[in-house]
Amino acid sequence: MPKAPQRPGPSRRETTEVALPSSAAFQEAGVSDTPIQAVPVPISGNEEPPAASRFRIFIVDSGWNSAARRVLLENFALIRDLQREDPIYVLSRERSIEFMRRHGSRIGRDPIIAVHDMQALGKRGTAGFHGFRLSLGLLRTPQQALMGLQAFARFLVTHRQSADLEADIRANLRREGLMGAIEIAMHHEAREIVA
Amino acid sequence: MDRFGEIVSVVLGALAVAYLAYEIDRRKRKLRDLFHVLGSEEADISAELADMVESGELQPYTRRARA
Repeated sequence: MPKAPQRPGPSRRETTEVALPSSAAFQEAGVSDTPIQAVPVPISGNEEPPAASRFRIFIVDSGWNSAARRVLLENFALIRDLQREDPIYVLSRERSIEFMRRHGSRIGRDPIIAVHDMQALGKRGTAGFHGFRLSLGLLRTPQQALMGLQAFARFLVTHRQSADLEADIRANLRREGLMGAIEIAMHHEAREIVA
Repeated sequence: MDRFGEIVSVVLGALAVAYLAYEIDRRKRKLRDLFHVLGSEEADISAELADMVESGELQPYTRRARA
């Protein structure tokens, strides 16, 4: 694929130049033993998130051969571009497996995307609300996983300045629950994401 | 016969309402499972991740230009 012309400035989009966190073999085969890898390279230039980012994003992926994982890998560059203000920490496969061994109830739910709200963490620490997590691995089909990922990205972007993220999340969940109820009552197909 | 029909209607109606309640509850649980709010129950896990960042074990993901 030809290189996209370089454009200066923080708004540039270089998805053609982004080194996806997967090997070329993964791209061809769709599956790899090498999951998303942490890249221990300091952020430089205009890639650097602001010092006081609102969120910290963690990705835990032990490497299940799942539709959710493939969707995450295929869209990782876009997610990163959309969330460029916030650092994304990707646990290596080994670290993710260790994590899962320590927290066994999470096995099979990964890839997990955990978001720490630094504003809430600064106020109350981890004792109260301090973020949310999306258990992408619970979504079994590529369509569901993609919708989940899109909803996640949309929520983060639209609530970056939220004064009360917890209230926003709970309101969203209530709304989703209500929409589901209405759809059931109307004999519509279940909302894809929670079906 | 009318009485029997009434009973069947009531039973079917009750079943429909029960199913609706069950389905709504199932979806709510599934949605909360999928999109979970981090609170004190996850304090240990969150602290573990935060410690990895603070200690430098985890570095922010960054792009690498393709060779």
